Amino acid sequence: MEWFTDIYLDYTLRTVALGSALLGITAGSLGGFALLRRQSLLGDAISHAALPGIAIAFLLTGSKAPLVLILGAALAGWLGAALIASVTLRTRIKYDSALGIMLSVFFGFGLVLLTYIQKMPDANQAGLDSYLFGQAAALVQRDVMVILGIGSAIMVMMVLFWKEFKLISFDADFGATLGFPIHGLDRFLTGLFVIAIVIGLQTVGVVLMSAMIIAPAAAARQWTDRLGRMIVLAAIFGAVSGVGGAITSGRVANLPTGPTIVLIVSAIVVISLLFAPNRGLVFRRVREWKAGKNLRVDAVLVDLYTLASQHSSKDYPHSQRVLDVMSTISGPAKRTLHLLETLGLARQIDAQNWSLTGKGVERAQSVIDSQYGGKLSQ
Amino acid sequence: MDYAIDVRDMTVAYREKPVLWDIDLQVPTGVLLAIVGPNGAGKTTLIKSILGLVKSAAGSVLIHGRPYSEQRSNVAYVPQRGSVDWDFPTNVLDVVTMGLYGKLGWFKRPGKTERVEALRALAQVGMEEFADRQISQLSGGQQQRVFLARALVQDARVYFMDEPFQGVDATTERAIVDLLQSLRERGRTVVVVHHDLQTVPEYFDRVMLLNVRKIASGPVRDVFNEENLRATYGGRVAFVSALASKDDS
Repeated sequence: MEWFTDIYLDYTLRTVALGSALLGITAGSLGGFALLRRQSLLGDAISHAALPGIAIAFLLTGSKAPLVLILGAALAGWLGAALIASVTLRTRIKYDSALGIMLSVFFGFGLVLLTYIQKMPDANQAGLDSYLFGQAAALVQRDVMVILGIGSAIMVMMVLFWKEFKLISFDADFGATLGFPIHGLDRFLTGLFVIAIVIGLQTVGVVLMSAMIIAPAAAARQWTDRLGRMIVLAAIFGAVSGVGGAITSGRVANLPTGPTIVLIVSAIVVISLLFAPNRGLVFRRVREWKAGKNLRVDAVLVDLYTLASQHSSKDYPHSQRVLDVMSTISGPAKRTLHLLETLGLARQIDAQNWSLTGKGVERAQSVIDSQYGGKLSQ
Repeated sequence: MDYAIDVRDMTVAYREKPVLWDIDLQVPTGVLLAIVGPNGAGKTTLIKSILGLVKSAAGSVLIHGRPYSEQRSNVAYVPQRGSVDWDFPTNVLDVVTMGLYGKLGWFKRPGKTERVEALRALAQVGMEEFADRQISQLSGGQQQRVFLARALVQDARVYFMDEPFQGVDATTERAIVDLLQSLRERGRTVVVVHHDLQTVPEYFDRVMLLNVRKIASGPVRDVFNEENLRATYGGRVAFVSALASKDDS
């Protein structure tokens, strides 16, 4: 419970944890829509595109006030997103290439400006480069209020436009025939997306911000098949990573907050990919293994039945070697035959020969009825 | 005469290459019309340009005598099944309810009334027991029927369907045919992009043969003949002439 007293007593830690949590909620929930619209990388492009905006805002105003820099970042991020859309629409360059081009061009330009600013004979410039990797520890209460205000506004918009955002995410063309201004909605959602990203730049930085968008949503998708639950879960994952990252980096010396947040959310993704029911890899493996076992059992059962039906009685015994040759999908029959024996479907007559039990004959007939349409091909 | 659908001079070009050239199409009320033509003939593009989903270089569309933009609530669209991500986290009822979003308007959430209407539409396509099913767990035919239910719930006067018979099972094919007939009985007009020439005379009253230009359109028995099919499908007509001669006899 030590961390709890920490977070309760320590002003800095409390501020950082609260800011990161709010950020995680905002980015995580909007990220759900980005993921479903196959725009995961758009977040990456927008956050990188924001960098020159920060630099230009500083050059023009000489101010380092978060709101001023966020405004510059938002304008540049929005411009980047608009250019990506425009290039995809008007040229033969594909969406993914356009993303890559804008990301590197804007980011490169931003780095040039940042270097220029750092060389300026002005003590005021120090600290702008913290936007590269973020500096959560520098968050003050006023920053948290800004994140809270903007984040809440984004949440309200998501609730208000829930049905419309769902529609354009699932089937935009159909939405257009219903009379919804699809392009307008698309631009609006992208705009919210830009805002959510730029308010996170101070904490997580332009390089890692896209993880805050994609990772919670990707993890949440593994656990549920309902859109509402997925978005809420993504917000929770985002919040947990934010708080977790803040506390961990607060307790361990020289651990930066932003990257720690990203590491925690990545761990949540890995756990989700492995262990989520239905979609998780472990779950799927187990299901496939079970299905494979059933398939092998049925195949050998039907083979035995086929052989026996060429004789007078259904339990006429046959050699395991014949079954080895017959079974094309099940591999060597020996293991499966022993499995059949434990299931009480077949019995071993002698070292080589096997026959069906009464129960085995019944099961074979029902398998043939359901899967082979009642007929056996020879 | 007042047509259900009246398209004039519809022309669409992708990067200077014409995809649809000067299409005129008049469809009387209460008929089932098939649009047929080879791959790349512009069948889907024609529907999409009528619905304003594809930018047209020229052309006007009247639905029951008024511009399409004023008639959206009277027009329902069934896109190709493959045009959406069926792994989207939602269920059957939810997708069908989307057909009512236009009527609901901004900000309003679907409620009990919408649920009842959506269930009724699902029943019409024999899918009511699938209402709570995840859409990722549907077969191709079931996906198609969900899309049809989503259009039915709009209770429109004119329906545009893009390849509803594509890759569906026999049950679904039967269900769609029954549905088309019940729509016709209720005086609705249905335009279907269709690829199976064999079933055109059986399923449809009218047919439009399209290959960038309109080759012919009219009642199936008047225009669905070897000459027009040859003009539409060019050299690949060995099967076409066999079909047409069978149909003539």
